[in-house]
Amino acid sequence: MGVVPIGNVPEITSKTIAAHLLGYLDINADVLPSLEHPAYACDKKRLQYDAGTILDALESEPFHDYTKVIGVLDVDLFIPILTYVFGEAKQGGKYALVSLFRLKRNPDGSIPPISLLLERAAKVALHEVSHLFDLHHCMDRRCLMHFSGKLDHLDKTPPYFCRYCSSYFLDALRRQ
Amino acid sequence: MDEKLSIMIVDDEMIVRESFLHWFEKIGHKVETASSGIEALEKLEEFPFEVLFVDIKMPKMDGIELMGIVKKEYPDTNVIIITAYGSIETAVKAMKLGASDYLLKPFKPDQLSLVMEKIANQKRLASEYNYLKGRLEEITRFDNIIGQSPAMQDVFDLIPEVAQSDSSVLITGETGTGKELVAKAIHAKSHRFHAPFIAINCGAIPDTLLESELFGHQKGAFTGATHGRKGFLEVVAGGTLFLDEIGEISPKMQIDLLRVLEEKKIMRIGDRQPIDVDFRVISATSRNLEKEVSAGTFREDFFYRVNVIMLHIPPLRKRKEDIPLLVEHFLEKYNHETTKRVDHVKREAMELLKRYDWPGNVRELENAIERSVVLSKSRTLGKENFAFLHTSSVSISKQGTLREMEKNYIQQILEDCAWNVTKAAKILDINRVTLHKMIKRYNMQRIP
Repeated sequence: MGVVPIGNVPEITSKTIAAHLLGYLDINADVLPSLEHPAYACDKKRLQYDAGTILDALESEPFHDYTKVIGVLDVDLFIPILTYVFGEAKQGGKYALVSLFRLKRNPDGSIPPISLLLERAAKVALHEVSHLFDLHHCMDRRCLMHFSGKLDHLDKTPPYFCRYCSSYFLDALRRQ
Repeated sequence: MDEKLSIMIVDDEMIVRESFLHWFEKIGHKVETASSGIEALEKLEEFPFEVLFVDIKMPKMDGIELMGIVKKEYPDTNVIIITAYGSIETAVKAMKLGASDYLLKPFKPDQLSLVMEKIANQKRLASEYNYLKGRLEEITRFDNIIGQSPAMQDVFDLIPEVAQSDSSVLITGETGTGKELVAKAIHAKSHRFHAPFIAINCGAIPDTLLESELFGHQKGAFTGATHGRKGFLEVVAGGTLFLDEIGEISPKMQIDLLRVLEEKKIMRIGDRQPIDVDFRVISATSRNLEKEVSAGTFREDFFYRVNVIMLHIPPLRKRKEDIPLLVEHFLEKYNHETTKRVDHVKREAMELLKRYDWPGNVRELENAIERSVVLSKSRTLGKENFAFLHTSSVSISKQGTLREMEKNYIQQILEDCAWNVTKAAKILDINRVTLHKMIKRYNMQRIP
């Protein structure tokens, strides 16, 4: 699969995500050349970026060699019903997104160490990529697929699956 | 994995519908969308959605109006109101009208998760409650006899009292009213509950066979009696013998049974050795035995022997307030038996069921519900599902003069309304004074 930086994203982030995809999901991932800043997706009223619009735009990019692609951005993403999202993916689809914007600041306003930021980005990416393999949210808090709406929840979420989701993922991977 | 729910998103904005759709797909819920209140109601008729997310501001039918209908027609459906910041007062009004929650859009990701968690908890509690309610009803329903009408409550009150004694009971009532269920309930609540309950339909067995069935016979007692056999009066030992349609018993058999009831001894056919028997007899009839006694067609001494305690089960047309409860019970029963999901009866259909006279009583109602559930293609039963009742629904005799027909019709409406003149006048669309005058003119009296 491909990891594509969109706009100004530190190279280390894309590489960390690619390494986590291989390490935790056993998926080989290439870091692809960057795409331009997604100004087309900016909502003037909300001053945020519409994740759905960016996902739709990725459809027209030449990623024919990759079955799955995850875009990495440094802008604040939203979907119409929610105030923000850390990442977005279409269930069972080809494209996913992860945003660093809200991962760069702790709930108390402090700046996290770079290692924590990268860990957060990798977890969101693993979670969203798993949606591309048709995994649903999981009730088990000790599972990567447990939904995290807040940073402190995300920090408690592990980067690996529960037993149930693990076997579902392996099955989905085999079917690919 | 999360508990999966069936959800419908009702919003006129496509972007909102799609946004919800994609979000809930990630959780694995079954999601459907509707762009208007009318479309939502159509989809609800087809499938029992558990949760509805409804936008307040929609053209034609707004969210509040839709919620009002949904809470009335499908009270188990949770409605969550989606609103913008400007309409929070409306959201509060919606909560007062029965909305489970409301969300101000756009909402934080964890708010949506919390709302869904709350719904899942409510659903779990509701199913626990329904289970316990079902268990409680099993205990209190007197073996599936259902009724909340005063007439049936009287019967329910009598059952435990009658069960305490060992006296003979005669249950009267039209066919299909549930006489055997009452007999079983009496047996179940009596000290004989551990012993057999044997039901015999006296009208269905020829007299000679009935004698052999009841008393048993010795080997060689008659042609074909190749071996000895115990009769029901012996087999029932310590239990309850239910003689259904006792009015059909021949005078000879009445004498034989009278002797057994008095002496508590029987002799098998072809045997001279008396055998002690211990049982309680409960009889039932749909005929007017008192009249038959007067006419000399039923033995008076036998009548008084079996009629120590009389219980009358009213016909369904005299307790129409029980119809919704019975309909609900039979819907549950046939949903379970047919694995169909038909859980709702439209108001006009229920009105039709209440207007119909049910000459076959509860049994006929049960058959009608079974037939409708089996043939229904949606989860809601409408008037059209009971079209087969139309042809015979009006029980008014079409013979006689216009004056007689008018009298009969008024009489029937009055009986249906338990002689509540105000209610009857409303149905007849005349004022109360006029109805009183007509009652006087036709010299009408309440049928006991």
